[in-house]
Order: sequence, then structure tokens, then C-alpha cells
Amino acid sequence: MSQQVLQTDADVRCVGLTKRFGEVLAVDSVDLEVRRGEFFTMLGPSGSGKTTTLRLIAGFERPDEGRVELAGNDVSREPPYARNVNTVFQDYALFPHMTVLENVEYGLLVRRVRKDDRRRRAHAALEMVRLGGLAQRKPSQLSGGQRQRVALARAIVNQPRALLLDEPLGALDLKLRQQLQIELKQIQKELGMTFVYVTHDQEEALTMSDRIAVFNEGRVEQVGAPAEMYEHPRTEFVAGFIGTSNVLVRNGRTFTVRPEKIRVLPADAGEGEPGVVRAAVYLGAVTRYLVELEGGGELVALQQNLEVSSSDVHAMEGKRVRLAWRPDVEFAIKEGT
Amino acid sequence: MRKRIRSWHVVLAGLVAMLAVPAAGVSKTSALPTKIGPGEGALKVMEWGQYTDPSFAKKFEQQTGCKIQRKDAGSSNEMFNIIHGGGNGYDLVSASGDASLRFIYAGDVVPVNVNLIPSWKDFLPAFKSPPHNTIKGVHYGVSLQWGPNTLIYNTKKVKPAPTSWSAIYSPKYKGKISVPNNPIQIADAALYLQKTKPSLGIKDPYELTKPQFDAAVTLLKKQKPLLLRYWLYPADDEKDFKTGDAFIGATWPLQTLTLQASKVPVKEIIPKEGVTGWADTWMLTKNAPHPNCAYRWMAYAATPQVQAKQALVFGETPVNPKACPYMNKIQKGSCAGYHLSAPAAYAKSIRFWKTPVKTCGWGGRTDCKDQQAWNNAWASITG
Amino acid sequence: MAVDAAREAGSFRGARLRLSSVLWRRPWLKLVVLLVPPVAAFVAVYAASLGAMLVSSFWTSDSFTAAIVHTWTLDQYRAIFSLSDPTYLRIAGRTIGMAAAVTVTDAILAFPLAFFMAKIAGRRTRSLLFVMVLLPLWSSYLVRIYSWTTILSKSGPLNWFLNGLGLPDAQLQFTNKAMWIVFSYVWLPFMILPIYAALERIPGSLLEASRDLGARGSRTFRSVILPLAFPGVVAGSIFTFSLTLGDYITPLLVGGPGSSLIGNIVSEQSASNLTFAAAYAMVPVGVMALYIALARRLGAFEAL
Repeated sequence: MSQQVLQTDADVRCVGLTKRFGEVLAVDSVDLEVRRGEFFTMLGPSGSGKTTTLRLIAGFERPDEGRVELAGNDVSREPPYARNVNTVFQDYALFPHMTVLENVEYGLLVRRVRKDDRRRRAHAALEMVRLGGLAQRKPSQLSGGQRQRVALARAIVNQPRALLLDEPLGALDLKLRQQLQIELKQIQKELGMTFVYVTHDQEEALTMSDRIAVFNEGRVEQVGAPAEMYEHPRTEFVAGFIGTSNVLVRNGRTFTVRPEKIRVLPADAGEGEPGVVRAAVYLGAVTRYLVELEGGGELVALQQNLEVSSSDVHAMEGKRVRLAWRPDVEFAIKEGT
Repeated sequence: MRKRIRSWHVVLAGLVAMLAVPAAGVSKTSALPTKIGPGEGALKVMEWGQYTDPSFAKKFEQQTGCKIQRKDAGSSNEMFNIIHGGGNGYDLVSASGDASLRFIYAGDVVPVNVNLIPSWKDFLPAFKSPPHNTIKGVHYGVSLQWGPNTLIYNTKKVKPAPTSWSAIYSPKYKGKISVPNNPIQIADAALYLQKTKPSLGIKDPYELTKPQFDAAVTLLKKQKPLLLRYWLYPADDEKDFKTGDAFIGATWPLQTLTLQASKVPVKEIIPKEGVTGWADTWMLTKNAPHPNCAYRWMAYAATPQVQAKQALVFGETPVNPKACPYMNKIQKGSCAGYHLSAPAAYAKSIRFWKTPVKTCGWGGRTDCKDQQAWNNAWASITG
Repeated sequence: MAVDAAREAGSFRGARLRLSSVLWRRPWLKLVVLLVPPVAAFVAVYAASLGAMLVSSFWTSDSFTAAIVHTWTLDQYRAIFSLSDPTYLRIAGRTIGMAAAVTVTDAILAFPLAFFMAKIAGRRTRSLLFVMVLLPLWSSYLVRIYSWTTILSKSGPLNWFLNGLGLPDAQLQFTNKAMWIVFSYVWLPFMILPIYAALERIPGSLLEASRDLGARGSRTFRSVILPLAFPGVVAGSIFTFSLTLGDYITPLLVGGPGSSLIGNIVSEQSASNLTFAAAYAMVPVGVMALYIALARRLGAFEAL
């Protein structure tokens, strides 16, 4: 399985990385390469090994096998404080007894940066995350979004080789999350810094990433750019996790079709596979149909509500329809989880 | 001030209760009872441990139907505290000489009719109307037992055998000397000075003028660095001699007997300067709920057989010399061992503990050091 | 009959409902009902006895009968703070010094253990350690002190062990050092538990964050762990400090000549001179008040 990783200017490389917790194989010989300046996302459900991989890169866990390289150097045996990476924690991990400024300065203080230099850089970092006026507050006096920004400022102020982000937006509500996704991406571009981002939210991954690695049961299922992952999922798991799993087996061939590529036609239409609408959910601009096919299997189809009303949609439930799609939107996948 | 059984928890109990104490004074002699009525079925005593030991108290309970409920006190102060603080329904208290006068003057105890105690007329003369329980001919209780504060030493370690209290003031046994943790210890020092420094003119070790008192305190302060420790509980004293940590010290016959029984090579002597001693009295509290049972017990405790038994249980000397043959019957030679067969003058030669007061008993002076001064001085010596 | 009973039950239920809705409408009334009994007990038991002690410390006692004389005087305090006879100042100084030494010792001993329990040990090891920390508290404190008298005795296990190693006897029994050891031992659990509670509340991610930002263990300890666990240390120190200030048993059993603490003097004088005992007992009260004020100023209670 393990492919030869190309010798590019990789900031982070994982080679055959394996970590066990007792009986549980949390990370199973993971090979990854994160390029310089890249926004790299590790995507997967909880327990898939993505966070453990991040912690192995940060140095909070020691690998049982394999190694971690930062900028070409093997750092597997080095403690976190000796690694030139910084982490933004899921719970932000701000020091509650320090002010915002002291939090941001901490990494510089520890590295014995001179005081005026320290102050200047910390203020610059706070300006970048748009918290310039809150330097003297304590973390307990900030909102969730503000805390998240402090955590970000505290990490980037050290100018690490790579920034590791462990579901940093997980605790925020949807609106704020979407706003911060954009800001994060902007900051990353501005700094040209390598981001290694962990999330279980596929939409977040698609929005921000240059490349995505999908994790499943401790292994990397597929690595690629967002569009590639979405349109050419290589496994059923990837297909299911990115977008909706629309997997069919026809003539011994397993393939997936994206919901928005499917047309819902009347039962008497001359093309498509016949089926029965099991559920029709009106979502405003679009309607989502769940159709049970006579030839076996179920498909989700998304249709724009061009000329239908919500009452028309509800009337569709239980009706016979036909589903049609162009053959070139079928993507063959490997069977399995 | 002797401490027998450890009762730890009564430290500041009664602290608040003490606040509303009426003016003190000898309570008026109300009509003394002329005969003992029927027992009330119960008797509550505040005692030194084993003073109502079942080995002789069971028979009393069967004879009189007075069921004894006992509390073992840890110190004279504790006794005084509880009885003075309201009594808690105690009938009798086995007061030692350093507390008995305090009970009398605080009005916590009432006079008793010694004619109702048949054995009283047999007592050693020194204990019929001793100054620690009899004021102007009025008896506030019935004498019980007594004993000397002796010098104990380890016969294997201390050679030659000591004959003088100077042994516990000398650096020869530095770190191996133990003495009681008790302000009355100042009297022991004064007694020693009375003989060794006649120029101080000490007449009574409990009635000391400032120069006399200061001399005793100075002696004790010089003694302090020589000490293993000040012991508070006899069991601790015994332990120190048993482990060999202490070689010599001031003690009571009780510890000596216990140690000898467990084959520790110790011996006790009455040094040539003489000794202080204690004498205990059964006293009747002013609000005693069971006075008839209390009188019956006082009479019972004064009888020769009971006197003998108690003496040997506790390691002390009866006030009733008729106990002598019974003592010898229980333990051969014990009557002489406890000096009961000694001439009556012997008991008189012991300087029994009494509460120090301002009024010196000699020469009509009123500048003697009182109990408070003794307590303070003891704190400054030991603390 | 049955109908009556049912109606009765109904009216009882109705009354309860009425009462609970009255309480619901007036939250302050609920608070009053809830707080009056404990506050009354506090005032009657704690405050009243403390007040009685304070008042009686300004009276004096008859030196013979020990009866209290109700005349206002500062004599007791003059005796305590007398410079011509500094006995009581000396004993107070010794007591405070001992309390401070025990507190520092316990803090130093307790911190690593509490840290191990809170942040490193697995669940089973932690439970085991908890039991071991608490186990001594199940046995009498007297028994434990007595066992120390045996351990420290000249012919006791300590010297037996030292002699076995070819070392001379440790001259510890009946000394202030022995008191220090025994106090530090008996109060240790009271230091471990609050520090453990404080450490346990520190999220593990804070320690990781500190390491991630380049801090080594010692730096993380100084800059993150210690400031956040400080309230726990202060809480523990209030226990160890005040327990030592008030103790009088340990000096009696393991102390030697010159080991008296405030508690011993209070205990000795409480029968013969209650007013002095009361005044002297105010010294630890005052010391603790100062101590807590200082801890407050240092910000120890901010995190509570």
C-alpha cells in the first residue's frame, strides 16, 4: 500500500506512522506529505485517527512505528517543545491566568525573545486576527470566537514551520464557523504558512483545503484536491463521507453518482431506472428525493425547485418516478466500507 | 494533678460554661445528714482511673444496689473544670490535694458528716483532718489514699545508686532524665533547695516568697536541657524506662511497680531531702443527685479490706492502717513496701500537695506566689 | 370514610402545591427557608463561642478558685505580649514557626504526589493512591502519633535501620524536629487533597499547549501549573497551618522539653486561668485571620 512519497519541499511528512493504544490500532501505517504553504486537511469521522496523527506530528504522542519529518528532518524522537510546529487546540487551551497579550507572548517569552520585540510581534499577531483592542482582557472575558482568534494568534506569532489545527471551529455555531473559515483561509494565504487542519466536517474541508486526506479506521483512504475527492472518490467510504453516498451495483460494477447529477423524471419517461419516492424533503431552493430503485439500491437526488411548490413536493412521496443520469458521471469505486 | 487514664477530648469543654460562675466562697454548712438513707440505685463518680475498680466495687454494687457510673479524669484541672462547670450530675470526685482546696473555696463541694464513716476513727492521724480537706474543723470529704513522689532509676545504668534528688539536677545523666509535666514540680525543686540551700530560708515548698520561688525556677530552668522530656501520662513514663530511653527521674510508686512487674531493672527511693506526695479525698458535690449512695461508697472505701485492695490495684498507700494485714495477705510485704507500717510520723514528713496561695502559712506574710504564678513559671520553664 | 380520606389527601396535596407555588413566586423566601437553619447554627455554635472567648479574654480569673472576675482588663494580653517575660511570645513564635515549617514541608511533599495522581496515573493507580492517602485518616490520629513515638524511640525501628546501614543513632525523639516530622505526616492528606482537586481542574491541553509553545517541564511548572494550582496550595496550607496552630497532642507525645505550643498552654491554663487561656487562644485566631487576608491579597481565592 505504502507509496513512495515524492521528494518535494515537504514541510511535514509522515512515513509508515503507526500508533496503538492498548489493543486499539489508532493510526495504521499512515503516509502523508504536506507541501510548503499548503492548506492540508485531515478529514474523517471521530476515531478515524486524524487527531492522533496530528498529535504525533506535534509530538504529544510517540509513534510505535514510522517517523515524522519536519522540513526534511526526522523529529520522531524530539519533544514537542523542540519541534518547530504550533498547535491550535480544539478547546483553545488558553492560559486562564494570563491576559490575551501574555498568552500570545508566551511562546516568545519561553524562547527568550527580547521584550520590545516580543510586544511588537504579539500586537501584530493580534492585529492580524483583529483582536488589537482586547490585549489586556483575560480569556474568561472573551466570546468563543474571540478565544479561537487568540489561540490562533498565540500559535502564528511563533512563525512555525507548520501550524496544526485540531478542529478549531468545532465549538462554534454555524454562522461564526463559516465566517472564521474564510478568515482562516485568508490568514493562511497572507502568511504563506503550512496549515495542517483536522476536521470531521466535509463542507469545511471542501471550503478551505488545498488538499484533503480522508481518514478511516486509522488509515488514509485517499488524498487529493477537494474537487477531485468529490468527483472521483476512490472508495465507497470516501464517496459516502464527502457528499452523500449514492452507490449502486450494476452488472458487477460498483459506482457512485452525485445527487445533483441525477434527473428525476415522470414514470412514463422513456429513459432512466424506475423507482418509488420514499421521501421528499423540501429545502427551499432544492428538494432532496430518496428513491428506492426497482433494480435494487437507493439513490438520493437533488432537484432545483424551478417550477414546483412545497405542496407539489409533498405530493411526490410514494409516487413512481424514473431516475436518469449521464454515463460519464458514474465513477467506479472499490467496494468496502 | 495526677493524670492516669488519657481522656483527650475534654480540653476546652466547659470553657464557655465557665463564664457565668457565681462569686466563690466556702458554701454555708447546711444541716449535715445524721444517718444514711436508702440508696438511690445509682452513683456517678469523677475519679482517677481504677479508683472504683470492679475488683472491689462489684461487691459494693451488689450490697447497696448503687450502680456506679464512672468517668476517669486526665488531670486535676480537668476534674475541676467539669465539676466546677456544673457537675453534670456527678456525686463524688476523688480530688487530689492540689484541687481539693479549689473545690472547697469555689463552693463546688459540701461538708460531710465523718461520723457516718465508721472507719474514719481508725485513719492515720495525718489524714483525719488534713489541711487539704478540712477547714476550721469542717470536713469537706473523706481521705482516701496517699503516696510519695519518688526517685526512680535504672539499676543497671545508674551507678552508684543515688541517694539525693541532686541526681536529677546533675549533667551526669543528661538526656536520660524524665520528670512530670506539672507546675507542682516547682515544690520538688523547693524541697531540694530547702535542704541544700538553707540560706533561702524555705519553710514550706508550697509557700514560697519571690526569692525562694525564683531560686526554684532557676534550678528547674537549668534542669531543662538535661531532660529527656516532661512526661504527662504514667504510661509514657513507663514506656521511656522500658525502652531504656530514660535512666532516672521523678515518678510515682505505680510506675515503679508496673515496671518491676515487667522485669525492667528499676528501683525507687525516698531521697535524703524527703519527698512531696499526694493525698486524695472523696468529696461530695453540692448538687449530688445520689447523696446516700455517695455516703455508702465513702464508708465502703474506708474499710480496711477495700483500702488494701485499692492500694494494691493503684500502687498507693491506704489512710486506714488496719488495711495492713489485708495488704500482706494479697501481696507479701506490701504493707511495709508502701510504708503503711512506718511510724505515723512518716506520713507527716511527706510534704503533701496543696494549692499554692498568696497567704503564706508561716509568718503571716501575704506575698507568697500563688497558683497562677506557679502556672506561669511552669510555662516559662517548660515552654 | 374513604371519600373523606381521599379529600383529606387531596387537600394535603393541595396545600403542598400552594406552598411550593408560593415559594416559586418568591425566590427570596425560598432562600430564607433554606439558609436560616445553617446560619442560625453557625451563629449559635461558632460565632457565639468565639465571641464568648473573645469577651472573656478581657476579663480576669481569681487565682485561687479560678472563678472569672468580670472586670475589664488587658492584663491577659499584657502577659502574652510581655517583653520582660517573653515566655508566651516565645511559645507563640515557636507555634507559628512550626506551622509554617510543616506547611512548607507538606506543600513540597504533596505537590508531586498530587500531580502524579491528577495528571499521570491511570484510573486504577489513582484509586489506589487515593486509598493510601486517605487510609491513615481512618485510624485514630492518636494511634498514629503513638506509633511515631515508637518509630523515633532510641531503640526504635528508625535507629535500628540507621544502625543497620552503619550510621549513628538519629537523636530525634522528644525534639522539635520530631514534632515537625509527625505534624508533617499527620496533616499531609489535608494538603494533598486540595492540591489534587486544583490540579485535576487544569485541562491537560494547557500543559500540552505550554510544551507546544516551546516550554520545558520546569517552565510549564512555573508558568502554568503552579499559578493554576496555587489556590489549592493555599487551601491546603490553611488546613495544615491552622491544624498545627491548634494542636497540643503531638507536643505532649513526641515533643521534648521546650516543645510546648500555644495549644498546650491553653490546655494547661483552661481550668486554672480560663481568661488567660481565652486570650492566648485568640492568638491563633488572629494569626489565621492575617494569613487568610494575605492569601486573599495574593489572589488565592480569585479562581474559586
